[in-house]
Amino acid sequence: MLQRGVKILHNIEDSLLVIILLSMVTLAFSQIVMRNLFDTGVFWLDPLLRVLVLWTGLLGALVATRQDKQISVDVLTRILPAKLKIISNIITRSFAAIVSAIIAWYSFRFLIDEWYSGVTAFASVPAWLTESIIPFGFAVIALRYTLQVAALLIQALKGDDGQ
Amino acid sequence: MIIAILLLLLALFGAPLFSIIAGGALWGFHSEEINLQVVTIEIYRLAEMPILLAIPLFTFAGYLLGESQAPARMVRMAHALLGWMPGGLAIVALTACAFFTAFTGASGVTIVALGALLYPALQQAGYPERFNLGLITTSGSLGLLFAPSLPLILYGVVAQQASLDTPVNIDDLFLAGILPGLLMVILLSGWSMWKQPKGQLTSKLDSKEIFAAIRESIWEIPLPFLVLGGIYGGYIAVSEAAAVTVVYVLIVEVLINREVKIRDLPLIIRESMVLVGAILLILGVSLASTNYMVDADVPTRLFETIRAYIDNKWTFLIALNIFLLGLGMILDIFSALIIIVPIILPIAVGYGINPVHLGIVFLANMQLGYFTPPVGMNLFIASYRFNKPVMELYIATLPFFFILLFAVLVITYVPSLSLVFLGP
Repeated sequence: MLQRGVKILHNIEDSLLVIILLSMVTLAFSQIVMRNLFDTGVFWLDPLLRVLVLWTGLLGALVATRQDKQISVDVLTRILPAKLKIISNIITRSFAAIVSAIIAWYSFRFLIDEWYSGVTAFASVPAWLTESIIPFGFAVIALRYTLQVAALLIQALKGDDGQ
Repeated sequence: MIIAILLLLLALFGAPLFSIIAGGALWGFHSEEINLQVVTIEIYRLAEMPILLAIPLFTFAGYLLGESQAPARMVRMAHALLGWMPGGLAIVALTACAFFTAFTGASGVTIVALGALLYPALQQAGYPERFNLGLITTSGSLGLLFAPSLPLILYGVVAQQASLDTPVNIDDLFLAGILPGLLMVILLSGWSMWKQPKGQLTSKLDSKEIFAAIRESIWEIPLPFLVLGGIYGGYIAVSEAAAVTVVYVLIVEVLINREVKIRDLPLIIRESMVLVGAILLILGVSLASTNYMVDADVPTRLFETIRAYIDNKWTFLIALNIFLLGLGMILDIFSALIIIVPIILPIAVGYGINPVHLGIVFLANMQLGYFTPPVGMNLFIASYRFNKPVMELYIATLPFFFILLFAVLVITYVPSLSLVFLGP
């Protein structure tokens, strides 16, 4: 059941990434064509494209966390013995989870303020909507790191050194 | 201070870099009693920089090209055109790699995509194995200085945040990289000619083969002219060039050459956006930490401290070279750019260094760091790809390292090499 839910979430993330990237390509290209050939343009296309960059970035970051491909320094971890590596992974990933959770929490509060103030990002799109990817993204990243830590803890308690 | 040491330790033990930077920013704002919602506002600035659109688009186009047969065609064409020269095949390898890296942004993709083609070819031509390994590993980061490479764009983005008196223009960076990049290619080509095995048969200039190779690549040949001509000619902005590139590459590789299947696109999109996401996440949280550091006057105070020891530009450049070489060994080029440039740029400008020149120096040093023993990233990628012990790669790359080190020193101490094409 849980596994199915996780799989659905993965599919949603992947599909969103594909949809957003392809719309970015299409919109950016049509804007160029309109501007150069017909001397017109849609004024809200540029801000929309910029928001899509933010969304691509955070969705990509979600998937990077899922595949454990976040950028990190691996000078030390490469030479650590397996047992120490598990411990260091537990500590560093807990840290990442906490930091992401803090950002998610404050971003969520920010979103609520924006909701009440009724600011718009562009055209009549409310700002809270374009910003909503920030709390969502960091919340999922925090959750992923928490799950990774849980898995590592179980592994450590079982005395399995990952070999 | 304790917090800084703790963060450094966490980073060394492999905590994701974004969490280190975000942690630092959160702590900084917290201790100044600033509402932490400010971090959200800073991250949202990712949606306020038009140029950033170029990053996902160019990366996707690069991955697409890598998935098609374009690399093989490019090698064939370079071989037909350059193979007759002394050291021809090695020069083919260097040129092809430089070209490919400029479009894919040096994330180790070059070694994986082109290494498999070039390594056996070089071996067949009679080059010693050690030379081949060294050449391919070195070439994996060659071409960083040529437009439209991702690190050049990223340097421009980060430098534009620094509110200098004369803002850094990305078009200027593209111009500034040309001669330093060529210097590297020429020096390495010279070395390859020197090391050419005796009695090696250079292929003859064969007009039939040239014609065939050109016909095979007929659709890819216009691409560099389209992109570089458009940007250098001032017809289109960088992010527009990126959009045109993606559309063009999609049409050529998916519809005309049909080497990339439509059903493979989602996977290619996902894999390329994982890299983009990892970079943009670090960039986003860095906007917050940089803002905090500027508020706390960190660059200014650092400048005053350094000035007590280093009183002129040239000594500063020597120190910078040593520092960047070390940095390049432990940090990948993208995080190094995002994290270090905001601190170093104001200091360098304080010493009277042109920000565009600094960018080229920075990237040239980082390029060297990619294969500086003991921990340069490309050494491990090549070791994995060619199934050789890392130790052997240390030895194999050493002569190449010294050649490029010489190039980096020339680039650093002869600013006009970078700045000659720029207006006054």
